[in-house]
Amino acid sequence: MKIRVAAVGDVHLGEDIRGRYREKLQGIEEHADVLLLAGDLTRHGTPAEGRIVAEEFGGLPVPVVTVLGNHDYHSDAEDEIGAMLDDAGIHVLRDDATVISLDDGTRLGVAGGKGFGGGFAGKCASEFGEPQMKSFVGHTREIAERWHKALKGLDDVDHRVVLSHYSPTKDTLAGEPLEIYPFLGSYLLAEAADAEGADLFLHGHAHHGTEKGVTPGGVRVRNVALPVLGRAYAVYCLGGEDPESC
Amino acid sequence: MSDEARQQAASSHDAPHYVAARVQQALAEDERTSELGVRVDVRGDDLYLRGQVECAERRARMTDVAGENAPGLKVHNEVTVMEVRGPGEEETL
Ligand SMILES: [Fe+2]
Ligand SMILES: [Fe+2]
Repeated sequence: MKIRVAAVGDVHLGEDIRGRYREKLQGIEEHADVLLLAGDLTRHGTPAEGRIVAEEFGGLPVPVVTVLGNHDYHSDAEDEIGAMLDDAGIHVLRDDATVISLDDGTRLGVAGGKGFGGGFAGKCASEFGEPQMKSFVGHTREIAERWHKALKGLDDVDHRVVLSHYSPTKDTLAGEPLEIYPFLGSYLLAEAADAEGADLFLHGHAHHGTEKGVTPGGVRVRNVALPVLGRAYAVYCLGGEDPESC
Repeated sequence: MSDEARQQAASSHDAPHYVAARVQQALAEDERTSELGVRVDVRGDDLYLRGQVECAERRARMTDVAGENAPGLKVHNEVTVMEVRGPGEEETL
């Protein structure tokens, strides 16, 4: 039961590049069974940019699932943008999960959301001191708790993917300045995937990072930020033990 | 404050470190750019921008925003425009 997962993040669409991404998605159904978007779909998070995202990724021949990124929150219009994408048939994950069923009966579970920062085990922020610090770290902890639940709920699927904007590991941040790691992700996100089990963890956000990494528990991590990939989308084949089968 | 002291305060405020920080902040927060991942370096009278953007228009706007926030410095915009290729080879996991 194999499935080909296309993924990209950080497309940062705006009026100035309207229509250009759609061209790159021509024929996607020949390469992939589903497209997952890892957030930062817009530049400023305005409803006008949200509309461009809906046009660019709506009505594709494969199902599309997305999370939002920090840029999509910038204008406090994330709910409106989310609703626009929902209307365009793009499934927006909000710290929950969805199941995609292919014609051959293969079921792919996708869980996740925006995620957040805090840093990585041994070198991370903690919920201590000022209220601002507590709310920063608390935000990530609450998100991770919801991801545990979302993944637990995916019990009758063939494959499970975690879709996030922020990174679960340092591996895929290589190339970013060390000083900003705590703003790029959190080990709590990895912990959710490791505890509940997943085949793949996709994220974006780290434009200068590296594509490939792994969580402490051995879940494969892929940073699919567009500047990292340099290609319209990456394709990952799950369940294809025989390399020829995908 | 004497003229000399004022001058000293202004120049220490404008130390390369702070100019670079101010430009980086402006590139992130200015509506025209909203670019977070840009490297900004100041060396003497020269300011360098490095990174990647989606189109030439976005790169040009970065020069404007950087210049406005670093008066007197020459802006060298070394940002590259991303070349987005096709999907390429798939990876089996
Ligand atoms: Fe981004
Ligand atoms: Fe981001």
